[in-house]
Amino acid sequence: MARWTVMLDGNGLPDRALVGGKAWSIARMAALGLDVPPAFVIGTSACNAYLEASGIPPGLEDEIAAGLAWLEAQTGRTFGNGDKRLLLSIRSGAAISMPGMMDTVLNLGIDEAGEAALAAETGLATFAADTQRRFRELYSAIVLKAPDDPSPAIPVDVREQLFGAVRAVFESWNTRRARRYREHNGIAHDLGTAVTVQAMVFGNLDDTSGTGVLFSRNPLNGDPAPYGEYLPRAQGEDVVSGKFTPLGLDAMRDHVPHAHAALLAASAMLERENGDVQDIEFTVQSGKLFLLQSRVAKRAPEAAVRIAVDMVDEGMIDAATALSRVSAEQVATLLLPRLAKGATDGAEIVARGEGACPGVATGILVADADDAERRAAEGESVVLVRATTSPDDVHGMIAAKAIVTEQGGSTSHAAVVSRSLGRPCVVGVGSGAVARAGQQVTIDGAAGLVYAGALETVVPLESEHPHLARLTGWAREQGERAGQ
Amino acid sequence: MNSRDLVLHAAAIKRHAPASAIAALAGVPLDQAQAQLDALVATGRAMETKGAYALTPLAGVALQARYAGHFGHLREDEGFRGAYEGFERINNTLKQIITDWQTLTVGGQKVANDHSDKAHDDAVIDRLGALHEQAEPILAKLASGLPRLRYYGDKLLAALEAAEDGDTEWVSDIRRDSYHTVWFELHEEVLRIMGRERQE
Repeated sequence: MARWTVMLDGNGLPDRALVGGKAWSIARMAALGLDVPPAFVIGTSACNAYLEASGIPPGLEDEIAAGLAWLEAQTGRTFGNGDKRLLLSIRSGAAISMPGMMDTVLNLGIDEAGEAALAAETGLATFAADTQRRFRELYSAIVLKAPDDPSPAIPVDVREQLFGAVRAVFESWNTRRARRYREHNGIAHDLGTAVTVQAMVFGNLDDTSGTGVLFSRNPLNGDPAPYGEYLPRAQGEDVVSGKFTPLGLDAMRDHVPHAHAALLAASAMLERENGDVQDIEFTVQSGKLFLLQSRVAKRAPEAAVRIAVDMVDEGMIDAATALSRVSAEQVATLLLPRLAKGATDGAEIVARGEGACPGVATGILVADADDAERRAAEGESVVLVRATTSPDDVHGMIAAKAIVTEQGGSTSHAAVVSRSLGRPCVVGVGSGAVARAGQQVTIDGAAGLVYAGALETVVPLESEHPHLARLTGWAREQGERAGQ
Repeated sequence: MNSRDLVLHAAAIKRHAPASAIAALAGVPLDQAQAQLDALVATGRAMETKGAYALTPLAGVALQARYAGHFGHLREDEGFRGAYEGFERINNTLKQIITDWQTLTVGGQKVANDHSDKAHDDAVIDRLGALHEQAEPILAKLASGLPRLRYYGDKLLAALEAAEDGDTEWVSDIRRDSYHTVWFELHEEVLRIMGRERQE
């Protein structure tokens, strides 16, 4: 019986306090019969022993070697040598998630010979080189904490690298942020963190490989059909980079039908098991589906309301749970003024940029923050228009109904301040907007459009929104019951 | 810089702020700063509305013209310049973190963060903490060139810790000395010191 480590082989559920939240989720998916990349976990007791003795506790080294041998047998790959390399991800994970803990190191196990082996296996020399480069960058930044070091002291031996990462996870338990968080939240300092060691899978291995994300329901509008994106012959980073346009689920069905069917079955099962919409990351390696992560999905306000009501109708949750899943802010967002149907028909678009804060507002374009403040104080509706904004303009932004800038993107000062104030905002419309000062305009902050004139707006009514009306009814019933 | 220019400079960075906030940023005792502000208002260099001060446009331009004299040695100092460039580099990361604080990506689309997902918020504050650790050596280098700049490091840490302790308005609320507010004022400060223009 291993003292420090647990294989996440789907046989029963390990103790969450011992293996941490991330490993526990992997174990749970495995126990449900779902395919996850093979993994083992170094338990929190090893962390405590390490911190107490300032060193790797006796026996842990052998158990990690046994864990690696098990991963090699499961994957048919070898760590640190051979033609088919086993690469690993190393993650920290306590029973309670906590700030300041070590970020994930990916692709550990690649070295010069490993890069050559990966290039030969995938036929993608650039990918193999990128994999090694990304590993070295992550290891420098996360384990060595020297992100800008041009010649980082990364150990040559892959096993040394693994131990370096394990030690860095253990030590991250005592960072300023982690300690502070525990003290503030009354969490004991001796819980410790676990280390999950998981085999990497490759979505770009061959023509029947790929990667993607799936939502068990549409997170934008709440439609009950699963919603997802699939990128054939690609790794997870490619999806995030935005360099490639992902395909829809139909394209995935044509491409890898078995994996597609398994994915939809897993989606339904995970949603049922967890009682809420799931956001699932997956990779298909040579036609076989692997689930990397499943968590409760973030959702837009429209979707939050519809999903809560639908799930009550499906008998998945009760009305009280449905109410707890929709925030007051989400309801307020649904009831914001919007353009009336047909209001934009024939309307002249005078400027077009990036929508930085959604919402609709009408006013006179004013190019100076002091003027904007003065005219707003006199009761006029103004829209502040600037080339860029600086702290000099904040009082004008507070006074304005909406904000337009000529330069800058969705992370610019104007964008940040407008979202903080909840003012509709369009950024980066290009030069010429300031010159339109004095003109009346209507701003659509979601679409990033500035229309000439005052377009008709409507304020949606709670009672006319089909799903919101039902939620409100339940809230009233609950209130009456509580009041009795 | 003499205390008059320090007060002018602080009022330019903290526009429409009360005397106490201007004094703190300038590193000038409150009574002295108040006296300077009164004199600036009396001579038409500043305006006061409801206890908040702002420079008149001409006073702002005149102050800008004196920066080369005040900060010329820092603009030439290789160590300070390097720290400034380091600040500009991590400024991009800060802007992304603040944006991720305010917006969520849902199914590939951006929607406003309504802060109902505590795990998301905690993760962003964690990234802000990691960024602060990267900023600390840069702030130390800036302050070794100009000790007055220690003000920003102290204010940033105070805002970060308030956010970490659960009062999340300290991340980006523009009506208080939130992390973003102080960072943005620091950006304005170093741009003025270096004689550069804001890009966006």
